[in-house]
Amino acid sequence: MSARHGRPPKLAERLLGWLLPRDLREPYLGDLAESFTARMAEKGARNAWLWYWRETMNAPVEITITRTRDGVGDAPSGDAFMTSFLLDARIALRSFLRRPGFTAVVVLTTAIGVGAATTIFSAANPILFSPLPYPHAERIVMVKQVDNGSAGDRLGYSTIMDLAARARSLEVVAEAGSWQGTMTGQGAPALMTGLRVSQRFFSVLGARPALGRDFLPEDDKQGAPRTVILSDAVWRSRFAADTSIIGKTATINDYPYLVIGVMPADFEGAVEPRAQLWRPLQYDVSLGQACRSCQHIKAIARVREGTSESTAAHEVDIIMRQLRDEHVSDYPHKVGGDIIALGDDITRGVRPAMLAVLGAVVLVLLIACVNVTNLLLGRVAERRAEISVRAALGASSARIVRQLLVESSLLASAGGALGVGIAYAGVRMLVRLAPESLPRVQAMQMSVPVLVLALVVTMMVGLGFGLLPALDAARGNVNDGMQSASRRTVGVSRRARSVLVIAEMALAVLVLAGSGLLLRSMHRLLDVRPGFEPSGLLSLQVQVVGQRFQNDTVTWRYFDDVLAAVRAIPGVREAALTSQLPLSSDYDEYGVHSERHPAAMPADDPSVHRYAVSVGYLEAMRIPVVQGRSLTEHDNGQSPPVALVSESFAKKFFKGENAIGQRVRTGAHDRGPWRTIVGITGDVHQVSLAGEVNDAVYLPESQWQNADGMMSLVIRTTGEPGALAGAVRKAVWSIDRNQPIMRVSSMSEIVASSAAERRFVLALFEAFAFMGIVLAALGMYGVLAASVTERVREIGLREALGATPWQIVSMIVRQGMVLATYGAVVGVILSVLGSRALAGQLFGVSCADPTTYAGAIALLMTVALVACAVPAVRAARVDPLESLRAD
Amino acid sequence: MADHLGEFEQIVLLALVRLGSDGYGISVRDAIAERTGREADFGTVYTTLTRLEQKGYVSSRLGEATPERGGRRKKYFIITASGRAALVAALRALRAMTRGLGQQLELR
Repeated sequence: MSARHGRPPKLAERLLGWLLPRDLREPYLGDLAESFTARMAEKGARNAWLWYWRETMNAPVEITITRTRDGVGDAPSGDAFMTSFLLDARIALRSFLRRPGFTAVVVLTTAIGVGAATTIFSAANPILFSPLPYPHAERIVMVKQVDNGSAGDRLGYSTIMDLAARARSLEVVAEAGSWQGTMTGQGAPALMTGLRVSQRFFSVLGARPALGRDFLPEDDKQGAPRTVILSDAVWRSRFAADTSIIGKTATINDYPYLVIGVMPADFEGAVEPRAQLWRPLQYDVSLGQACRSCQHIKAIARVREGTSESTAAHEVDIIMRQLRDEHVSDYPHKVGGDIIALGDDITRGVRPAMLAVLGAVVLVLLIACVNVTNLLLGRVAERRAEISVRAALGASSARIVRQLLVESSLLASAGGALGVGIAYAGVRMLVRLAPESLPRVQAMQMSVPVLVLALVVTMMVGLGFGLLPALDAARGNVNDGMQSASRRTVGVSRRARSVLVIAEMALAVLVLAGSGLLLRSMHRLLDVRPGFEPSGLLSLQVQVVGQRFQNDTVTWRYFDDVLAAVRAIPGVREAALTSQLPLSSDYDEYGVHSERHPAAMPADDPSVHRYAVSVGYLEAMRIPVVQGRSLTEHDNGQSPPVALVSESFAKKFFKGENAIGQRVRTGAHDRGPWRTIVGITGDVHQVSLAGEVNDAVYLPESQWQNADGMMSLVIRTTGEPGALAGAVRKAVWSIDRNQPIMRVSSMSEIVASSAAERRFVLALFEAFAFMGIVLAALGMYGVLAASVTERVREIGLREALGATPWQIVSMIVRQGMVLATYGAVVGVILSVLGSRALAGQLFGVSCADPTTYAGAIALLMTVALVACAVPAVRAARVDPLESLRAD
Repeated sequence: MADHLGEFEQIVLLALVRLGSDGYGISVRDAIAERTGREADFGTVYTTLTRLEQKGYVSSRLGEATPERGGRRKKYFIITASGRAALVAALRALRAMTRGLGQQLELR
């Protein structure tokens, strides 16, 4: 504070100097400075400081008003329009300062509405509206193989090669396969998601490394030196943004890789958003996995310029049918092909949820708008008198309208500015809290179009709000206005405000009912039994890295040793290994072929989740064996191959026959051992709690054709699962210090996070519902409070005529509750119609769930009652004598 | 009626008469506050003084600068002859109108 230095506030001084006419500037500021010094000595710095600001706020208006009206002196600065705008702005500022409460509520309400809407629009923008950040992104497509009507992301390598060779509508086709790389050498070993990509992968996207070069055809040849392109994040975190990195070596999975490029920081790897490393595909067609039915490679393509997407899709479809005719046993009979724009493909899953959230936030914005309109209309009563006086003194109606518009625009701008701040923080929070499955998270930021949108909304809100009272006032007859102000009857605006309260209540019911439906869905979902017992279970993923693990026996022995070490930890009751963990996003399916009933078309056989497990897995997970036996120590690499299948799969696949004793092949139909089914297990949700249970086959890890390089440990503990995490880590690393450990988590957490996307949507809805309730309550309170003020005379008269306080209270409450009831009815109707938009997010709850609606209405009516009660009680305290004397 | 004096204009002119050659923003404001209890802000005082100057009822000159004024000069105002005439006319009119009403208005 400048007051501490005994000098007038600098800002105020400068402001004044700018506003004052030149000839008055010096003496005026001098007088103020002199008085300031005197005042400070007498009444203290704080008092003097406040006084100076008050003088600043008051002075220039008086002077410049006079000057403009008299047409004397030089205008402060700028042209006439600017001058009068500043005048209006200053008059408005003063009127806001006189009513800080009103101003704060209007600004905050606008800020909440605009802030929430901008946040959500920013987050939704990349998912719903903006294209992927690649040149001609609309021409980049994902190629799909449609088996029996369901489109799959992954195709066999040879299928893609044939498609690329034949499809004339596709300019470039590139392949991408999954890859995980553990980087060692710089810091702790870190497992990274990567992609094995064909040479033209980046050219399909139209992206180039920021540093170094793209892959060349010779990099993608078999036996070519190992090369890798790094993400910007890896380059910064592991290599300290070393600009001379190109040509150096990175150790990945124990092999040296030549770093040939670094992608730009803003590169968005839409095909695999988490990808940090890219290496050439170097596909070995001689391997068994190169079969046409081994669908494990994604294909992206660029549609030739001038060719429509549907033409290209049609061509791909035709080629797929040709391929089926050429390789009958490799494709299902009903095979087809399709292409989908890459941007659509990756966002398709969350679009409905995002639209629902968007809908909810629009409701909040609407409530906020209704609320602000209400507040401003509420001021018309008092403003009428003031405006009429000004009109009587000669102000033109255009002048008055402009003044009011400036006032509301200022309020809206302040709210908008605060809202943009809220949105900035909101988007950052959203990105941090977003579930991993949310696509395009890295593209979510306060974007310029969103900012513009927010400002347009704000301005419209301002102009709209300003116009209502302004037109109302300008239209009104001067005399009329003065009289009506003194009679305190504002019938029209009271009716308008009643409608607004109803609207507000209806909108609040809509948001609250939506979030109620989601909340109940979440409860239902978490009630679903996953098929195993998650509590008291710790899990972590262990991977083998290094050349020695090329040998399967070494890998198996390593995992055996790890298991033995973990089982030896005190506090570990049971421990086991599995190749995939339920609800963890592990996904590993193989075709199952029956020996007794071979399918006419092996590709038509069902795919089921394959679990390569250690002995004790089913027991540790508490997955019941409902028939037959579990796996034992005797089921090993030397004994006859066995398997267990899940109950629902056994029923479907063996159609009434006993599954036990039947033999099946997993993977290729014409190769590999026949496995005898020895038991049937309970069903497990592998993919999601909301979906169906997943078909499963369990087999001993040592009886699979090769060793799995990545296994999950499941550990049933005596105490809190998390408490043992450290000891388990130590035990694993006691076998080999260089093997990475991932995903250390209690099974309950994994189950919970499998519902993360729903939880995220629910959290947003809850936040909006809360805002909706608060805003609606504020609005209702505001209207009733204003109506009590307007009706003070009437209330006093009633009291004078013998009405009891209770009658007064119930009269006011009744008035409010009637509005609330209308609102609730409208809200329920809208909700039943609107909740269909939520259908995809609901689980085990109908769109028209009566419990939810009853709950929402009960809650809102209670809130409404409280909002009504406060002004009602105030009305009952009205002193009849005082009120009658009021005018 | 351009030469008609408003109430606050009369008060400001009376303050200037009282202050003689010592009338500037602060002293005018203080004189009014002292005698009427009315705390006018500088905006009002200067607005009135400026208007009176436009009407030719007061004239002004720039005075000395002091450190507590941040080195800014004062602007002294003195009442002009026509200002004095207008003030006297206004007061006469007022006196004529109030004469005999002392009891009714409970002036004393």
